[in-house]
Amino acid sequence: MTWLSPLTGLMLAAAVIPPLILLYFLKLRRRTQPIACTLLWKKSVEDLQANAPFQKLRRNILLLLQLLALILLILSVMQPQVQAGQQTGGKTVIIIDNSASMSATDGPGGITRLEHAKQLAKQRVEAMYRGGLFTGSPGETMVIAFSDRAEIYSRFSGVRQQIVAAIDRIPPTHGETRIGEALQLSRAYTTNVVDIMGEARPTGEPAHIELFSDGNIADLADQVLRPGESLTFHEIGTSDADNVAFAAISAERPFDRPTSVAVFASLLNFNQHEVICDVQLSVNDTARGIREVTIQPARTDPTTGELIPGRNNVVFAPFEQPRGAVIELANLREDALMADNIAQLVVPPPRQLSVALVRSNYRILEAALDPEGMRLQRLDVLTLDQFEQLASDGLLDQYDVVVFDNQAPETLPPGRYLTFGATPPIEGLNEFGTGGSQLILSTRVEHPVLQNVTLDDLRISEMALLQPRDDVQILVEATGGPAAVAVSRGSLHLIHVTFDPLSSSWPFKRSFINFIYNALEHLGHIGEAVTSEELRPGEVLTARLPASAQSIELRTPDNITHRITAADPTQLSWGPIRLAGAHLLSWTVPGVTGSSRETRPFAVNLLSETEGNLAVADSIDIGQDSFEGSRAAAASHTPLWPWAIALCLALLMVEWWVYHRKVYF
Amino acid sequence: MASFGVTTTSRPKRVDELIDSQLMAKLDQVDVMSRKIFSGKLQGERRSKKRGMSVEFADYRHYVHGDDLRFVDWNIYARLDKLFIKMFLEEEDLSLIIAIDTSSSMDWGNPSKFVFCQRLAMALGYIGLVNHNRVSLYAFSDAGLRPLPNLRGMRRTQEMGSWLLNQPTGGASNFDDAMRGIALTRQGKGVMIVLSDFLYKEGYEKGLRYLSGGGYDTFCMQVLAPEEIDPGKAGLAGDLRLTDIEDDDVAEVTVSSGLLRRYKENLDAYCGKLREFCVRRGMMHLTIDTATDLNVLLLDYLRKRGLLR
Repeated sequence: MTWLSPLTGLMLAAAVIPPLILLYFLKLRRRTQPIACTLLWKKSVEDLQANAPFQKLRRNILLLLQLLALILLILSVMQPQVQAGQQTGGKTVIIIDNSASMSATDGPGGITRLEHAKQLAKQRVEAMYRGGLFTGSPGETMVIAFSDRAEIYSRFSGVRQQIVAAIDRIPPTHGETRIGEALQLSRAYTTNVVDIMGEARPTGEPAHIELFSDGNIADLADQVLRPGESLTFHEIGTSDADNVAFAAISAERPFDRPTSVAVFASLLNFNQHEVICDVQLSVNDTARGIREVTIQPARTDPTTGELIPGRNNVVFAPFEQPRGAVIELANLREDALMADNIAQLVVPPPRQLSVALVRSNYRILEAALDPEGMRLQRLDVLTLDQFEQLASDGLLDQYDVVVFDNQAPETLPPGRYLTFGATPPIEGLNEFGTGGSQLILSTRVEHPVLQNVTLDDLRISEMALLQPRDDVQILVEATGGPAAVAVSRGSLHLIHVTFDPLSSSWPFKRSFINFIYNALEHLGHIGEAVTSEELRPGEVLTARLPASAQSIELRTPDNITHRITAADPTQLSWGPIRLAGAHLLSWTVPGVTGSSRETRPFAVNLLSETEGNLAVADSIDIGQDSFEGSRAAAASHTPLWPWAIALCLALLMVEWWVYHRKVYF
Repeated sequence: MASFGVTTTSRPKRVDELIDSQLMAKLDQVDVMSRKIFSGKLQGERRSKKRGMSVEFADYRHYVHGDDLRFVDWNIYARLDKLFIKMFLEEEDLSLIIAIDTSSSMDWGNPSKFVFCQRLAMALGYIGLVNHNRVSLYAFSDAGLRPLPNLRGMRRTQEMGSWLLNQPTGGASNFDDAMRGIALTRQGKGVMIVLSDFLYKEGYEKGLRYLSGGGYDTFCMQVLAPEEIDPGKAGLAGDLRLTDIEDDDVAEVTVSSGLLRRYKENLDAYCGKLREFCVRRGMMHLTIDTATDLNVLLLDYLRKRGLLR
């Protein structure tokens, strides 16, 4: 703080303050008043011993107020000025939010929130390191950027250029906003952890945190400031930013048309008004169609105060796509955040199943599993010994489903199995005898295996009686107990029919073929989405490439190609993913692909309701503390005399009110 | 402002100024009620635990040799051919003791606390005399204990009134010694009413402990002037040197809303503490504003609190 005319103020103070105090000495004369008992008054009065001159003044609120008003008046005459953004020593941590919502282009002049935050942070640093008469040492500053994870861009440094350069290096990401890791990192550099009796104690000086964010921080409720820490919240962005975002996208190959693809998506409207969007479907960068979608306005939950966005779905009817493709939906309406206006999917080509049949002499199941009729890639017929050999060699992975025709192996390794007759050796299927003639009592018709399967007229002459454990799902219940059950334990998936089809009338029914088809489709595609792995920003991209793959590269949506050096290409991983959009992995295999590169696309989508909501928080609550957002930029000389005058006037009003209450109440 | 708390009304000179005929007529229907039933000395009009001679039937018992044949129920004898004795509730008199604080602090307030106590004591004593109770009055200050013991019957009303009119005020209360004196000289058991402001710098606890024995059903009536209950409303303001009229103790105050608020909090706490002290020892505590109408106090308030019926 600097003073333009300190001498005038000091002279004025010398002239007016002593007379005021003297007036109060003269004023204190008391009138005698007889009273019944002073007992209660003595308890109430605190200035009973007010005989000494300064004790008389001790609690005189009027004198205090008048003195304060005079001092403020004198200070205003001295014309104080202050450097905004001043910092005197200590440690400062600048934490900048670079999550997806900070890519919104509602900053001044159409720049992104992140760019605006970086500008403000740099102004802050400039103000801190500018120097001044009373500023003293500016201390050290650290720079951290955070989205779903935090990254240090500059450790504690007192060099202004280094700090500014670190701020400039912070890139945008499309991750979610989580501040916990950033706070931990800042503490790690301000705390020398001493483990005494298992308790970590900070021995360093706590830092002042300067947070530049739009305030939509997912894990804020879990955070708490440590003793000595302080925080300034710089509010970035505007509350009326326009945004419509994709909330979900999925694709499906219809049951009866495996070479076609239907696409479904859900859109969220975060605006307070209804919007109409044009959603364009592209397949391998070729536009296939446009749908117009009207989305209701967002509303505020009256009980929680949370913004509930308007929601609508868009469906693109099945279109022929027998090969794999990159499917992209684009919301053509422009808004503040473009990253959530595109959603992509990588759809692999339809897959046919490989099935093994373990049978004895009867061929009824082999006939039913006709590869052409069942659309199988291949059907291998095995004996029980061959199965055991494959299982011991670990070669069962080549089959999507193994069917047992009244055969029971010694053990059942993880895999997908359809078994008839003999009870498979797994826990939870306890056989306790054989039942005679059976009728079907009930079927779980909603299960996919029992779609179009009618068992009302099924007659069973002999059936194994089972006592299933609680985690066994009963699909068909006969008079003697379960006739078909489903078991799903980790990577073991089993559908078991408790009777041999030859001991029933089932082979003569259409439901027999439908059941087998359903069971193969269900087991063969368990855990397999029609699309390839769906990724979000912040996650790690993993791929299984040929062991001899070389020259592996990944092109990210910002058109930067990253070379990946992998010791084992069969277990390739890269991450974390920072941006939403199409990532293209490419590699070469010497002797197989020649000079041409194999490619595999990965779709990364920002399907986040939290980041889509661009409303700016006016304040943030950390633990018990609430921090109001500050929109002030850093640093210039600010005159304080108007504030002093205003405060002086306010004090005079308070003084008048106190005097009035004391005299007249 | 100069008249803050100073009594402006003159003291009553005659008995009919203490209690007028209209109030007496109303009080004829009222009786003092004790929450405890004590045995008296003379046969009176009060229900006793003992069986005796009243007209109120209590029970039957078999006749034994030596019983008074006048109490045999001959109707039952005619029906059952057995002798039964009718028993009746005994009625006894009640001791009513009224102790009045005549210290200087009581002669303060507008209306005066002492005048209010004179009238209240007169009315309560009159109720006692009308109902053939044994009424004793005591005035106490540091000048000593002045008794008027054992009045009985309406014809002693004038004597009681004259005694009340002639009581001087002055000095300190000397509450402990006064209560000790009353406890030592008491005759029989009954209802004890203490009329005072209970603002004793030496404390009231020791004095009240003398009364907390099994002998009395004690009512502590704390009489306070409006100037003591709400001094701000009564006009106390400014920078003052408050002087205690009993011991000339001085308290210098600058009256402000905060000070008045604290004073009221202290007064509430003081009265609450006194009430708690009384309740713990089986006594009844009442705080009475001297601005209260005596009719309302006697015929409504004290009835609800169980002193009168």
